[in-house]
Amino acid sequence: MIMAPRIARERLLLVESMYSVIALLFLLVTCVELCDAASVVDVYRLIQYDMSGAPFGSRLASLNHHAGSLHFSPHTDLSRTVLVIPLRELNITFVKEYIVEKKPLGGILFLLPKMFSVENKGSMRTNHQDDGKERLKNVLAELEQILVHNNLPYPVYFAYEDDNIHDVLADIKKNDATGQPATATNGGYKFVVSAPEPKKVASPTITNIQGWLAGKKTDDDASQLPTIAIVASYDTFGAAPALSVGSDSNGSGVVALLEVARLFSLLYSNPKTRGHYNLLFGLTSGGPYNYNGTRKWLRSFDQRMRESIDYAICLNSIGSWEKDLWIHVSKPAENVYIKQIFEDFSSVAEELGFTVNLKHKKINISNPRVAWEHEQFSRLRVTAATLSELSTAPDLLERTGGLVDSRHFVNETAVVRSVKLIAESLARHIYRHQGKNIRVFADNSSLAVNPSYIRSWLNVLSQTPRVAPFLPKDDPFVAALKKELEDHTDQVDLQRDVLDGMFTFYDSTRAMLNVYQVASVTFDLLLLLVLGSYLILLFSFLVITTRGLDDLISLFRRPPSRKVKTA
Amino acid sequence: MTLFHFFNCAILTFGPHAVYYSATPLSEYDTLGTSIKAAVVYLATALVKLVCLATFLKVSESDSFDPYQECLKALIGFIDVAGLYFALTQLTHRNISQNHKFQAVGLGWAFADSVLHRLAPLWVGARGLEFTWDYILQGLEANANLVLSISLAALGSLMWLRKNKPKTLIPIIYMCAGIVATMPSITSYLRRGLGWHLPKVVGFELFTSLVMAILSWQLFAACQRPSA
Repeated sequence: MIMAPRIARERLLLVESMYSVIALLFLLVTCVELCDAASVVDVYRLIQYDMSGAPFGSRLASLNHHAGSLHFSPHTDLSRTVLVIPLRELNITFVKEYIVEKKPLGGILFLLPKMFSVENKGSMRTNHQDDGKERLKNVLAELEQILVHNNLPYPVYFAYEDDNIHDVLADIKKNDATGQPATATNGGYKFVVSAPEPKKVASPTITNIQGWLAGKKTDDDASQLPTIAIVASYDTFGAAPALSVGSDSNGSGVVALLEVARLFSLLYSNPKTRGHYNLLFGLTSGGPYNYNGTRKWLRSFDQRMRESIDYAICLNSIGSWEKDLWIHVSKPAENVYIKQIFEDFSSVAEELGFTVNLKHKKINISNPRVAWEHEQFSRLRVTAATLSELSTAPDLLERTGGLVDSRHFVNETAVVRSVKLIAESLARHIYRHQGKNIRVFADNSSLAVNPSYIRSWLNVLSQTPRVAPFLPKDDPFVAALKKELEDHTDQVDLQRDVLDGMFTFYDSTRAMLNVYQVASVTFDLLLLLVLGSYLILLFSFLVITTRGLDDLISLFRRPPSRKVKTA
Repeated sequence: MTLFHFFNCAILTFGPHAVYYSATPLSEYDTLGTSIKAAVVYLATALVKLVCLATFLKVSESDSFDPYQECLKALIGFIDVAGLYFALTQLTHRNISQNHKFQAVGLGWAFADSVLHRLAPLWVGARGLEFTWDYILQGLEANANLVLSISLAALGSLMWLRKNKPKTLIPIIYMCAGIVATMPSITSYLRRGLGWHLPKVVGFELFTSLVMAILSWQLFAACQRPSA
């Protein structure tokens, strides 16, 4: 009676130990499965989008093909081959031929040099003048435009160069050099990306952030104070959404806006130095799509508010210029307000040792294309100008902070000088110091431009992909921008809206590429042959030796008959 | 290639056992039952070994070679010998000669070992896309293990079952048995203590297994002579 529970307990113990053994086995199995690829590479997919229903970009995400290099022999069928193309060896005419003429390919993997990497923030501008780098940048910019504006019916991925992938590429090249394309019969490497079918991004939202810094009202004046708006669009668009950090376009503009907000918040916090102008800071989204967010933002203002805006300064790409900046306007230069703005800016620029040029571009209301952010203001009859390093208006989806636009090519001092120019000329306008040589934001004063603030924000922006449709509603980056503006302004509002227009986007922007070294079928056949003959040999050997254990002499006399039997 | 490669590796790993069974007189005397019993004993031994390892061994984070732990592991490895002793002496076999008994036991032992240690990794790994030589090497290792198991069984049957063996050979038999029984520890030392790569280790195993097989064969033959 006492024994029974003990036995039961022991049995239970045994069962438990069996469970642990089984669990261990499962653990082992999962471990083995996890690390069975030769190497796993982070890859970033080419953007996939529809514009007015027409498909553009890479239309597939999943990939399972043999790898090939550019050294393939002509007239080979590449429809089941992933071409691995390092940017350094890229031949742009080849790409044009393949992409524009829509030749069949299994897929493309572009290898980008490390300097375009999102993580790469150190060693910036070391031998920036290097011809090779400039050439690479131009090639990449051209490639990006080709990829973005074409329909590629196969997966296209980007990856950064590293030793692993270099070794793989060297092997692939060696294979290709023998003249045989990689197929199932001769082994080589197999690239596998297992990704679900890309799905449409449902109702992409754009988030505009606005900060309000109220000016000082005089007692007798009941009317509204005039407002000056400083605007920068913060989102990006590029060939690879997960890599579109847009350090220059328009990270530099966002950084400049934040720094200007910080400087004026210092001035406005003291009632004595508070100006008689309201300041409105706007970080707008949807910039690459004809400044859709800016448009929505402006439409949300009431009429009185819109009329109170004295002028708006839009900041766009001010991070990599050397000697001169451009002010783009859509009213003729003779216009009084434009003249005023230009004079403010050019006089300050002169003192800072560079030039500012004015460029007038008429807007065409019937044309949906909005090349500059200020044109959205001009369409609503608000005086506005765009400060930019670009001398001509970019085309649609051009200069929107794509692959090329990395931290590596942004000059911190250029941003600092831009901030000085903007802040100083705004201060002259607000405090009516025109014509007087007063430096409000002089170096080494408490109101000096802070280069480390600019640097840290530039680094943050250069590591944050910001393609609007792929930013979730509660994106931490948007929250960070909002918090930063809250620190500098009295009142911050978020405006969320749906990105309208002709664009549809598809998800799955990043993936893992598994690189497998595979053996060929011929190798397997050969192995089977070798193993078969090994077993037959073993069989004959065993028969010859062991059956003779009983009678050694007779065994050595009889092998021929045994051999016949085994065969 | 995946399934094909798995098939190849499986042939290499388990083929020799089948070939050994069918080519030698084992099949003529129908000793399958003995082999199966030996395999069951092996499973039980493995379980006991597992429990002992789990009880007495610390889990080392690093993959380094710790002499004390390895000694303990070698000692636990001798449980194998105990299991083999049980299989050879205690199991009631049908009336088969000692010759066939040790072969059947060794074969069952090695086959159970292969199934237990190599089938699951093979099933999971060799069917993957990635090609490595590991599974082919593992198959070769299984071959070496078969030879070693049969040698050990042969030596064991000399030690425990044969009464009238020449006195001069006894120390040699015990020495050989000791070497064969410690082979797992030796290979573990080579792999982790000296950092040998798998191909080299497998080559060494194949070589030593052949040497030990020839040695034990000679010993067996030498013991056979006076009685015959």
